[in-house]
Amino acid sequence: MNKILIIAGFFLSTLMISSCVKDLDVTPLDKNKILSGNLNDDPAYLQQALGKVYASFIIAGQGGGYSDDITASDNNFFTTTRALWNLQEITTDEAICAWGDVGIADLNTQTWSPQNPFLTALYQRLSLSVTYANEFIRNTEGNNDPKVVQYNAEARFLRALAYTYGMDLFGNPPFTTEKDQVGNFFPKQLDENMVEGRKKLFNYITTELRNIENKLGAPKFSYPQADQAACWMLLARVYLNAEVYTGTEKYDSVIIYTNKVLSSNKYSLATNYRQNFSADNDATRNPEMIFSWNLDGVYTQGYVGTTFIIESSSDARYIRAEDFHGLTSNTNWNGNRARKQFMYTMLGDTVAVYGNNPIPWTVDTLFKQSPDKRIYCKVKKNVDIPSASSSGDYGIGIYKFTAKNADGSKAANYNTAFASTDFPIFRLADAYLMRAEAKFRKNDKAGAVADINVIRERAFGNTSGNITEGQLTADFILAERGREFYYEAHRRTDLVRFGKFTDGGYNWAWKGGVFNGTNTNKKLNVFPIPGDEISSNPNIKQNPGY
Amino acid sequence: MKKNLISFRILLLFVACTFAFQAFAQEIQVSGKVSDAKDGSSLPGATVQVKGTTIGMLTDLDGKFSVKVKPGSVLSFSFIGYDPQEVTITNQTTLNIALLQSSTTLEQVVVIGYGTVKKTDATGSISVTSSKDFNKGAITSPQDLLVGKSAGVVITNSGGAPGSGATIRVRGGSSLNASNDPLIIIDGVPIDNNNVSGSSNFLSFVNPNDIETFTVLKDASATAIYGSRASNGVILITTKKGSVGAMKITYDGNTSVANAIKYLDVYSGDQMRDIAYSNKALYSPETYNLLGSQNTNWQKEIYRTAISQDHNLSVSGAAKNMPYRVSVGYTDQNGILKNTDMQRTTASLSLDPTFFKKDLKVSINVKGMHTNQNYGETGAIGSAINMDPTQVVKDNGVLYDGYYQWANYGASLGTPNPVEQLMAADNKSVVQRVIANAQFNYKFRFLPDLKANLNLATDYAKSDGHNNRPITSPSVITNPYWGKINDYTGKNYNNLLDFYLNYVKEFGVNKVDLTAGYSWQHFKREGNSRTTGFFRTGQTQQVDKTAFITENYLVSFFGRLNYTLLDRYLVTFTLRDDGSSRFSKDNRWGLFPSAAFAWKLKEESFLKDVKAVSDLKLRLGWGVTGQQDIGNDYPAQALYVQSSIGSYYMIGGENIPTLRPDPYDPNIKWEQTTTQNIGLDFGFADNRISGSFDLYKRVTDDLLNQIAIPSGSNFSNTLTTNVGSLENTGAELSLNLVPISKQDMYLSFGFNVGYNKNEITKLLVSDDPNFIGILYGDGMTGTKQVTRVGYPARAFFVNQQVYDANGNPLEGLYVDLSGQGGTVNGDNADKYIYHNPAPDYLLGLSARFTYKNFDFSASSRASIGNYVYNQVAASASYDQMYQIGYWKNMPTYLDDTKFVKRQFTSDYFVENASFFKLDNLSAGYKFENIYKKLNARVSFTVQNVLTVTKYKGLDPEVSDGIDNNFYPRPRTFMLGVSFSY
Repeated sequence: MNKILIIAGFFLSTLMISSCVKDLDVTPLDKNKILSGNLNDDPAYLQQALGKVYASFIIAGQGGGYSDDITASDNNFFTTTRALWNLQEITTDEAICAWGDVGIADLNTQTWSPQNPFLTALYQRLSLSVTYANEFIRNTEGNNDPKVVQYNAEARFLRALAYTYGMDLFGNPPFTTEKDQVGNFFPKQLDENMVEGRKKLFNYITTELRNIENKLGAPKFSYPQADQAACWMLLARVYLNAEVYTGTEKYDSVIIYTNKVLSSNKYSLATNYRQNFSADNDATRNPEMIFSWNLDGVYTQGYVGTTFIIESSSDARYIRAEDFHGLTSNTNWNGNRARKQFMYTMLGDTVAVYGNNPIPWTVDTLFKQSPDKRIYCKVKKNVDIPSASSSGDYGIGIYKFTAKNADGSKAANYNTAFASTDFPIFRLADAYLMRAEAKFRKNDKAGAVADINVIRERAFGNTSGNITEGQLTADFILAERGREFYYEAHRRTDLVRFGKFTDGGYNWAWKGGVFNGTNTNKKLNVFPIPGDEISSNPNIKQNPGY
Repeated sequence: MKKNLISFRILLLFVACTFAFQAFAQEIQVSGKVSDAKDGSSLPGATVQVKGTTIGMLTDLDGKFSVKVKPGSVLSFSFIGYDPQEVTITNQTTLNIALLQSSTTLEQVVVIGYGTVKKTDATGSISVTSSKDFNKGAITSPQDLLVGKSAGVVITNSGGAPGSGATIRVRGGSSLNASNDPLIIIDGVPIDNNNVSGSSNFLSFVNPNDIETFTVLKDASATAIYGSRASNGVILITTKKGSVGAMKITYDGNTSVANAIKYLDVYSGDQMRDIAYSNKALYSPETYNLLGSQNTNWQKEIYRTAISQDHNLSVSGAAKNMPYRVSVGYTDQNGILKNTDMQRTTASLSLDPTFFKKDLKVSINVKGMHTNQNYGETGAIGSAINMDPTQVVKDNGVLYDGYYQWANYGASLGTPNPVEQLMAADNKSVVQRVIANAQFNYKFRFLPDLKANLNLATDYAKSDGHNNRPITSPSVITNPYWGKINDYTGKNYNNLLDFYLNYVKEFGVNKVDLTAGYSWQHFKREGNSRTTGFFRTGQTQQVDKTAFITENYLVSFFGRLNYTLLDRYLVTFTLRDDGSSRFSKDNRWGLFPSAAFAWKLKEESFLKDVKAVSDLKLRLGWGVTGQQDIGNDYPAQALYVQSSIGSYYMIGGENIPTLRPDPYDPNIKWEQTTTQNIGLDFGFADNRISGSFDLYKRVTDDLLNQIAIPSGSNFSNTLTTNVGSLENTGAELSLNLVPISKQDMYLSFGFNVGYNKNEITKLLVSDDPNFIGILYGDGMTGTKQVTRVGYPARAFFVNQQVYDANGNPLEGLYVDLSGQGGTVNGDNADKYIYHNPAPDYLLGLSARFTYKNFDFSASSRASIGNYVYNQVAASASYDQMYQIGYWKNMPTYLDDTKFVKRQFTSDYFVENASFFKLDNLSAGYKFENIYKKLNARVSFTVQNVLTVTKYKGLDPEVSDGIDNNFYPRPRTFMLGVSFSY
């Protein structure tokens, strides 16, 4: 009896053990988690995976309790839009931030180190967008469905866009393509030498964009997806800065690609400049928008992008949230405002009209006094900022972005905390001003003036602000770009291109850490490779001077 | 290799089965009585055991026993508090035994993994704490019973909240990112350390009154049989069981009164106004009208005197020789923070029936719990420090239920009124949990040396909770909504099957004890949460909805050989082969061996007759253990995760969810910890002085570490992967002294000290000498901790403060350690490593004194060399006092620093937090035979009596080293009554 039991027990346990060992093969129980091998099971999956490549530029992650795309000490601070904005704006005359968070002061005063958390996060986020794009491209390679072919081209566009920011800010970021499998490896730069690597990356980006030009959808085919016009704009922007990236100018190419945009006849300037920074700035309602990073009060939200720009520049004392931007909850972060030089160099013509307090303001007539209708500014307690990290009550308040519609009405999908205003990347005004700059450099002054006056007529509502060839200088173009694109994360790139970011003799309050500003080291024209990357990847060479 | 593993498993089974076919010998019946040698009184419940087997019984009410044994075998008689005796059976059938009272209880049987062992035969580093040594007082969490009682075991409760949990660390942490919690096994069931949502303590289902012993397995030779979960030690909890004898009814009850010991020093209303008016440079006079005229002590407003009670009733005995114990407990605990409380009901049942003429022993344990927890809003603790004291508690405004609120005065980011914040919160949960297991121990009749053991267990926990705020209560917490409803539920499942064979045989001077078995365990957790916000108009909007479900399996094969020669030389080998579903097929299985040797020196001829030495044993142990609890159940799989609403993107003109590829490491595997241990157990002067001393070194390799990875190589900037090593070295000493042991007077002292040094030895794949380390901190308050090669984990990483001639810190002035100039403040290149949160030495000291019917006990602890970053002090600055549209109070630390701006990275705030704590004092009186066999005891206990420290914050006992306004531990006075019949 006992023996039978034991023999039975033996067989039973062998059976039990072999079946239980199989228990170790698990797949996720969570229906929101999909095995990567199953990605082609549902056409919606590919659409959603493409959506991620776009979303990676603007929001923190997947929400809903899942971790953010990158590990960082704050989920909103270290998103692409916020870090990009900080690196492009508070390092310049256009903005300075009052907050005491680690890394802010270094950007305010151009004294950053490779440990700066903002440049680290941006570098990592841009690389991650590239990696997401690589994965998508790899998964869709060989799929001949015309829709998928177009998705594939969009991912390649987004990858080129991420590389463009990488090239502009960091010179020579690590280079990976869809051929690099994900795992534990050490990516390389295109060249160990920063100058050479940057040149090679420039060639890669421009070749890649020209290759996908005809695979992308026609202009405005499905906003906010990237289309041919976005591709042309990106090419124009890269060529505009070609001399910075390669040492050789490419103004002819700028004219070629801006012409393509302007002659597509799909776009026109918004009558109301401010529509570009309002909740209805999307291309469906705004004729000027070419490409943006989409935000929505309900569907795509976070303290990021335009919400960040609005709230960080909003304060309780000078302009209250309720009065102009509509984000009434968790509001008035009182951080960002412009420095004195922004007013005297860029808004010089406005200052001439109104003297030292050029933008009188009352609640009833917001910003109406300036003839240049692009000016949404207010001098705060004092135009001088007493210390590099003094409170947001000093300097010049900037109130250009809003979460309301351009006409002041309530936005669709309105949310008291999160703006639906899209983060503009390319709008038609840039096509005009890029072409103007290229023509100016090519000594076509008349052509340049014509393009600039298109912009100024919209700004002034009539021809009163038009300029003549005699008034046109390089400095005027730089200032005009400031007036048109302030707070749109263009400024650092523009200053570098005009040689005025570091040692070009143009200084602003607290640049270099001194009240009146001082020249800084040329190496700062490019940010360093983050310390985290140098530690974790032995293949990566630090940028010169750091 | 793979093939070898399979062969190993088959071999184990085969060995186990061949034992089954051996012959057996004739048995005789031996009966008799066990009594006290001193007064001849009978000893009911004494253990009578056939040596080397688990065959045995307990004596009945009259101390009588009757047991079947083979001639030549040895019967051992033991009873707690008495020296055991052994008698070799030749042909006697009657045996009367008189046991001598011993001064220690060393000769106990201790539970180890998959079995038990006599304490004197243990080869590993094992410490046992039994109920008589537990901490006294109003204790609702099992962890608190053990605080300070075991050398090298650090228990830090998370604060004074009702029912709050505690972190337990055995010999420092052996991991960085993986769990550092020890494996906890209750009556043979390894439990999941993951709390079900809504529960703050994963051990709260055990009523402390039901616990008999805690056994802490510290070194790898003891723990390696638990393989991949054993790197951080194993704690075995045994609950009380019934015993043969008359029915015994006991009742324990207590009422306690708890109070906050002290409040944090902050400015009064008058002081605030003084500071404001006298600093026109900092505060614009136009802001003065925002100051009120009050002197509100906000901390006083949120705390209270809390009265709690606890009742426990147990019935135990034997029904037809089946020992049973049933108990119920009810705890009603109120927190000193208003609107926080817990009501818990526990029930437990244990049955130990035997079948087939006692060949089959069954042990059934069922434990159930029902808890209603009211968490309140602990955010009020911080708000009470920062809320402007010049304002009234209530201004009878329309909103916020009449409470003063800055938002009513235009500052939506103003400090929330702490009283409103607290009282409006409706954060409650109901948690139910049941753990049941049945252990079957079968002795093969034809081969009594062989036993089969089957353990089936299930553990199920369920929670249902909400975190609501009324629509009258807009708050920064719930912005942009006016009130919210958040519902959540959680479920944890844990099922277990263990099967093992145990063979014990003596061959002359050799004794072999062999165990081989198999274990299967499944963990599944799920939960969901839904939040709806109210707009001011009353409209609602779903804000957030999350859900998770996850599982993992562990399948293991294990074996242990204990070999004893001449009852003096003991050798133990264990081997465990663990499979975890967390890893890929190629990395799934891990082999964890251990070996130990013990030498009972006392048994050698040169010591045997030395009276002064009553016990001496040397232990050597070596073993490898693993760690697989890395939080994520699928770290090796390539997965896409779908986003939730709010993280959609517009594609094809529609807002759709996005799919994100998650980072993964296909090669991820176990952490491995190799431990070496040398120990000495000793007893002198008839064990009046006894104890043990251990030295250990633990090296963890393949650390599961979340590291910064090369950009572009994976789907994030960090990845949890096996990289790095760390070492813990330490020493432990436990001492028990019994200066007095007389008929009616007894005095004993327990003392333990543990020293541990933690050092990181490797962190990266590449050895970059410039690697700054893994940094901890946030953008708001800066990076203040680092884990770097050559230093302990999470050392403080700060700027070196410069002081003026009077020793006052100079604001923002730090030593430029890098010599590069530029910004020093906050720059990592200019920071240095300055102390760390882990103590160097931990001491526990307790005393017990009984005189006639009086008893008295005390427990205390000391921690030496632990540092704390005082973030409460670091948050104080003058510029913070006036914010956008509101005033904010500051701790009076500001009088010392006089900082205008906060200086989060100054080493000034890293304080020596060494402490001595008198944890409890207890006195009791026993009334005997009040009515028949009715005994009673009354007791009075004070908990958290005294803290001696140089630390300037409220409490130096802070886990992880950052003091950030936690729920203060109260001082509690308790009056207890117990009856037994």
